[in-house]
Amino acid sequence: MLFGRSQKNPIKIADKAVVEWKYTTCGYCSTGCSIEVGLDESGKAVASRGAASADVNRGKLCLKGIFEHELFYSANRGSVPLMRDKFYDEFAEVSWDEALDKTANEIKRIQDSYGRDAFAVVSTGQIMTEEFYTLGKLTRGVIGTNNYDGNTTLCMSSAVSGYKRSFGSDGPPGCYEDFEHTECLLAIGSNLPEQHPIIYWRLQQALEKRKFPIIVVDPRVTMFAQMADIHLPVTPGTDVVLLNSLAHVILNEGLEDEAYIKANTNGYKEYKELVDQYDPTTAAKICGIDEDTIRNVARLYAKAGSAMTIWTMGINQSTHGSDGVVGINNLNLITGNIGKPGSTSLSITGQCNAMGTREWSACSGLPGYRALENEQDRKEVAEFWGIDAEFFPKKRGLFQTDIFPAIETGQIKGLWIIATNPMTSMMNTSRIRKIFEKLEFLVVQDAYADVETNQYSHVYFPAAIWAEKQGCFTNTERRVNLISNVLPPYKQSKPDFWIFNQMAKRFDNGQKIKFPEDTEGAFDEMRELSKGRMLDYSGLSYAKLEKQKGIQWPCKEGEETGAQRLYTDGKFQHKDGKAKLIPLPFIDNNEVPDDDYPFWLNSGRVVEHFHTRTRTGKVGNINKFSPTAYMEMNPDAAKELGIKHSSYVRLTSRRGDAVVMVQLTQRVPPNMVFLPFHFYDCVNRLTLGLLDPHSRQPAFKHCAVKIERVEDQELAAVRNKEARTY
Amino acid sequence: MWKVRDDEPEYAFVTKADAPEKNQYGTAITLVESNDKLAGKSLNINFDSSIGDNPDRYKQHGFYFNADNCIACHACESACSEKNNLSPHLAFRSVGYVEGGSYPDYHRLNLSMACNHCDDPVCLKGCPTRAYTKFAEYGAVLQDPDICFGCGYCTWVCPYNAPQLDPVKGQVEKCNMCVDRLEVGLKPACVASCLAGALDFGVIETKPENRDQLNTSIPGFPDPSITQPNIRFQQTKSLPNEMARTDSAPIRYSKNIETGVYHSKVLKDPEAKAEWNIKKLSSREDPLVLFTLLSQLAIGGFLFQFFAPHFGITTISLTHFPTVLPLLLFGLLGLQSFALLMSTIHLGKPMKFYRGFNNLKYSPVSREAACLMIFFSFLGLYTLMSFLPVLFDVSSAKLQTSLTMIGWIASIFGIIALFFMHKIYRIKARPFWNHWQVLTSFYGIMLSFGGLVAGVYLGLAHLLFAQTASPVLEFAAAMILAGVLLEATGLFFHARDMHKQEGEGGASHYQQLTTFGKTYWLRNILLLVSIAMAAGLALNILSGLLFFLAWGLIVVSVFLSAFIGRSLFYVLVIPTTMPGAFFWHNKGFEQHACETGLADMPQVGVIPHGH
Repeated sequence: MLFGRSQKNPIKIADKAVVEWKYTTCGYCSTGCSIEVGLDESGKAVASRGAASADVNRGKLCLKGIFEHELFYSANRGSVPLMRDKFYDEFAEVSWDEALDKTANEIKRIQDSYGRDAFAVVSTGQIMTEEFYTLGKLTRGVIGTNNYDGNTTLCMSSAVSGYKRSFGSDGPPGCYEDFEHTECLLAIGSNLPEQHPIIYWRLQQALEKRKFPIIVVDPRVTMFAQMADIHLPVTPGTDVVLLNSLAHVILNEGLEDEAYIKANTNGYKEYKELVDQYDPTTAAKICGIDEDTIRNVARLYAKAGSAMTIWTMGINQSTHGSDGVVGINNLNLITGNIGKPGSTSLSITGQCNAMGTREWSACSGLPGYRALENEQDRKEVAEFWGIDAEFFPKKRGLFQTDIFPAIETGQIKGLWIIATNPMTSMMNTSRIRKIFEKLEFLVVQDAYADVETNQYSHVYFPAAIWAEKQGCFTNTERRVNLISNVLPPYKQSKPDFWIFNQMAKRFDNGQKIKFPEDTEGAFDEMRELSKGRMLDYSGLSYAKLEKQKGIQWPCKEGEETGAQRLYTDGKFQHKDGKAKLIPLPFIDNNEVPDDDYPFWLNSGRVVEHFHTRTRTGKVGNINKFSPTAYMEMNPDAAKELGIKHSSYVRLTSRRGDAVVMVQLTQRVPPNMVFLPFHFYDCVNRLTLGLLDPHSRQPAFKHCAVKIERVEDQELAAVRNKEARTY
Repeated sequence: MWKVRDDEPEYAFVTKADAPEKNQYGTAITLVESNDKLAGKSLNINFDSSIGDNPDRYKQHGFYFNADNCIACHACESACSEKNNLSPHLAFRSVGYVEGGSYPDYHRLNLSMACNHCDDPVCLKGCPTRAYTKFAEYGAVLQDPDICFGCGYCTWVCPYNAPQLDPVKGQVEKCNMCVDRLEVGLKPACVASCLAGALDFGVIETKPENRDQLNTSIPGFPDPSITQPNIRFQQTKSLPNEMARTDSAPIRYSKNIETGVYHSKVLKDPEAKAEWNIKKLSSREDPLVLFTLLSQLAIGGFLFQFFAPHFGITTISLTHFPTVLPLLLFGLLGLQSFALLMSTIHLGKPMKFYRGFNNLKYSPVSREAACLMIFFSFLGLYTLMSFLPVLFDVSSAKLQTSLTMIGWIASIFGIIALFFMHKIYRIKARPFWNHWQVLTSFYGIMLSFGGLVAGVYLGLAHLLFAQTASPVLEFAAAMILAGVLLEATGLFFHARDMHKQEGEGGASHYQQLTTFGKTYWLRNILLLVSIAMAAGLALNILSGLLFFLAWGLIVVSVFLSAFIGRSLFYVLVIPTTMPGAFFWHNKGFEQHACETGLADMPQVGVIPHGH
C-alpha cells in the first residue's frame, strides 16, 4: 500500500470553537425541529446542530436548519425604522417613536375617515405564539378592525376549514409517531422529502423497521412519488373526485367501519347518496386514475388495520381545498381511522408557526380556537382582557385574499403587513402591484429591508428574527416548543412582541388592556385562556418545554406531558360530540388548459428554499442549489415547440407573462409545467388563484399557460438577472 | 478532539461489523498491524496529540451509498460544508443525478459523492508537491492545503471531482473523512446527517443493517478500475435502459442488456451544427497553452541549431555566426523563461513553485518540471558560453568541447522533459487526453516550431551575410515537414479512435466536430497547408515568388494550427466525472452565471471569471 509521506504535518480541520450551545426551535417550516446554535468565544453564532434528544428530529436537521445560524448575519437586515410620504419617495431613517407615532396616527386617521374596518392587518405564520396572541389582542381589542388575517390563508386555511367542518374544530389529530404504527400511508399532494425532509426521515426510519404500503397522489413524479409503492398521477384539481370514489368502493364493498360510523358520525345517509354517484368507472374519466387502481387503493386502505393520510398544498391550494380536507376526513371516519395509533388525518403544515397563529392570533376568530360568531366566546375573551364584548364584531371579517380586492375597490385604505411578502407570494403579481399603489398608508414589519413588499411601504419597522427573541412555536403535530433568544436583536431591530406592545400604548383601549412586558407573561395569559378547552396549554411552562424539548397539546394543568392524539375517545368538537360526514359534490371550476393556453401550470416548493427566499436566497451554501428561477417541462412537449434545455422561455397566461429558464425532465407530463414558487417576479405573474369558497385559499396550482421560445436569449438573461437581487 | 455529546444518537456511531480480510480488488483491508511503525501514532488533529481509541483504526473505511433511497435533500452536502466551514463555491461532497424513462414512468437516480479514499490514490501519485498522504488510520487519503501550491493536477486525475480547487485561496482542499469524528467513534458529518437511509460509512466491504448489496459501481459512476475507490453501493430498483444527465456534458448512460452495466455514451444533438466559437477557445488553462507551445519551441529551436551541423549544415556555427547564433539562443532562453513564467502563474500560489519537484518518484508533473529545469539551466549555460567569444578573446574552437557536452545534456533533457510533459496528460479519467497523440503532438510541435523559428531566423541570417541559405532552409523545411506529419498522423489516429470511442472521449470529439466544428476544420486545413508547403520547400521544388509565398504561408499555418489545436486540446476534455445537477456542478450554468453576472452574487456559488 502506498502511503505517501512518512513525515506528516498536523491535520488541520475547521474548528468552529463553539463554547456554548443555545437551545431553540427551527424557524423555517412547521416540522418543529429542536436546534442548538453554537456560539464562539466572541459570542458569534457559528454553527447549528439538531438537538439529539428532541423527539421530533432526534439530532437531525435539513439543509436549511444546518445553516440557520447564518441568518443572524444576512445581508440587508433591517437596521433602523424608515419612513416616507409616498412610496415613490426616498426613505428617511427615523426613530422608533416617530415611526410608531406616525403609524398609530395613520391608523386612527384612516379609521376615523373611512370606518374602523378600513385599516387592515395581514400577518404571518412566522412569528411566535405569544406575539400572535398579542397582535390578536391589539387588533381585536385595541385597534378594532375586523379585516385582520394571516398569510396562512395561502397555505393552511383549507386544512383549518376542513378540520372545522368535519370535527368541529381546528387541530391536527395525529402525530409523527403514527408512522410507527400505521399499516397504510396515503399522501396526497405532499412532497415530503422536499418540503419536510425531517418528517420524511421519520417515515423512512419507520419503514426500515417495518414495511407498509405508501401511496402517493401527485401529478408530478416527485421523489416521494418515485419512492411510493403506488403512485397516482392525478389530474390537477380532481382530488375530491378521487376521494369520493375511494369512499364509493369502500361503502359499496362493505369495507367501512360500521360501528365507528354509527357511534361517532352524523350525516351518513346524505354522504352515501352523494358518494354513490362516484363509481370508479365514472371517476376515472375525471381524475385520470384508472378504475382498477382506485378499487385497489380503496381496498388496501380500508382493509389496513390502521391507515393514515397526510397532505400538504396539493390539497389545500385548490378551489376544492376545504372539500379535499373534508374528503380525507370522510375517508378516515368511514374506516374508523381517527384518534388511534397509525390512524389519522394529518395536515403537514408549512410555516414554523402557522399552528400558533391558528391557535392564538385571533385572525379567524378569538384566541384559543374561539369563534367571533359565538357569544360565549366573545364574552369570555372580553372579560379576560377587560373590555366591552360589544367591541368585538359578531362575525369574522375578510380573509387575506379578500382584503386585497377590498383595497382595489377602495373599502380598505391602510394596511399593516407583518412578516409576509405578498409582492412575491400572492397570485397575479401585476394586480397586487396595482393594489399596493392604491394604499394611503402601508406599514411593513419585516426582518429584511429588501423584502419586495417594502417597495410600496410608507413606514418600515425592522423586526428581529426568530432566535433574537423568546417565545413558542407549535408544530404540525401540535407540539409546542421553545425559542430562546440566542443573540440580541440586530442593530435597532426589535422583537415583534415589543412593536405590538408599543403600538398598543398609542391607543385608548391599549391603556385599558394589560400588555405583559415579556412573552412569558403573554404565555401565562394563554394558559389561563386555554384551561378546560381541547386546546389546553395549562400544563405547559417555558422550563418544561425546554426540558422535554417540546410538548404536545392538550397538556392539562398537573399533567407531566401532553397527549399524542386528539379524538381518541371518538368525541368531536361539534355540539353533539360527533364528527360530520359531509357530501362533496364536484364542480369543475378550474381554469383548465385549452387551445390558447395548452399547459397546466403547477407550482411548489424546493428543498433548498423557504417561501419568498428572503432568508434562503442569502445563504450561499443552500441558495446555490437553485440560485435562479427555473421551470420543469417535459422534453417531448419542448421538442414540438423547439425549446431547448437550459434556455429561457416566455410563459403567458390570461394574467400576464414571465420569463424563466427551462429544465427538461420527464418528471412532469407533456401538458404540464412546474415552477418553484419562491422566486420574485416569476410564477405569480401568471397565476389565477381562484378562491376556495370555504377557506378563501387560492388555487395556486391550477391555471393554464402557453409557452413560447424566446428569440433574444441575452435579453431574457438580463431580465432574469435583474429580478434576482438576492 | 471532537466532542461526543452525552445524548449522541446511536445512528451517529460507526457500527462494528466483521470485515473480510481482503476487499473486492484483493487488497488487504487491515492496512497495518497494530505493531507497525505507522500504528499507534496521533493524527495530531489541530495539534491535539491524543490518539483515538477506535478499535478499527487501521482498517480501510469507506462510504456506503444506497442509491435506492437517496432523495437529493442536500443534507449531506450541507452538513459537510457547515462542518468544514466551506465557501459556497466549494463542496467536498456533491449530489448530482441521472434520470430516465417517460412520464409517469420516470426514474431519477441521485448520486451523493465525496472522496473515495482510494486504494490507488491517483491524486497522491499525481501531486507534484506531495500534499497528499494515505493514512494508515482508516485508510483516509488526506491533503494538506498548506503544502499544496494550487496547480490543480489532482483535480485532473481524480475521476470523482473530489479535490476542490479554490481559485480564491489558490489551493486545493478536499474531504477529510471527518477523521476527527472517527477518532471518537462517530461517522462522518455527512453520513450522520443523511435523511433518507442512503449514505452510510464503515469498514469497507461491510454491509450496513438492512442492506443487501456491496456493489462497486452504479450508473453514472466512473470506472472503478481506475483508482479502486473505497465506496460500495446498493442499487436494486430497475432503471430504464437509457439514463440522461441534466448538466451540460454531452453524455448519456446506456445499459448493456447482457451485462446490465451502464456505459457512458455520446449525447448527440440532431440539430447541432459545426460552429466557430472562437471566444470559447479561451479557458483557465490558457497559460498552459503558451507554456507547452513555447517550451516545445525552445527545445526544438535548440535542437535545430545544435544538430544542424551533424546534417551537413556546417555554416551553423559560432565561427560563421558569432553573434547571430548566440542571439538565437538568447531568444530561445527568453521564450523558455516566459513559458516557465506562464506555468508558474497558472499555479494558485506562484511563489511556492519550488515545491513542484517534491514528487519525482511518482508525479509526471515533478519529473517534467525537473527535466525542464535541467534543460533550461543548460540552455542558459550554453547561451552564456556561446556569447564568450563575442565578449572576450576566447576562440570558439576552444569552447567547442564544453559546448558539445552541455548541448547534449540540454538536448537529452529537453526531449525527456517533453516525454514527461506528455505523461501528465495520459490520465485515465480524461479519455480525450489519454492517447499517444499527445506525444506525437508535443514532439511534432517541437520539430515544426523549432524548424520554423530557428530555420527562418538562420536562413535570413545566411541571406543577410550573403551566404547561401538554401541548405539551411531545406533542412528547416524538412524538420517542419517531419513535425507537421507527426502531428497530423497523431491527430488522424486520435480522431479515428475518439470517434470510435463511446463515452467522454467520444463526447469531447463530438464537441470538437460541433461546437468547434469550423475551428477544427480550419486547424486541419492549416495543417494540410503546412504539410504541402513544407514538402514543397524541403524538396526544393518551389522557386521565386512561390518560394517566398510558401514560407509566408507556412509561418501562418504552422503557428495558427498549433495554437488552435492546443487550445482545443484543453477546452474539449471531458473528465469521466460524476454527473452534476441542474445548477450545481453544471459547467453550462457556471458559464451562464459568469456571462450574465449572476455569479457576482456570492450566494450563487459560482466564482466569476477573472478571479
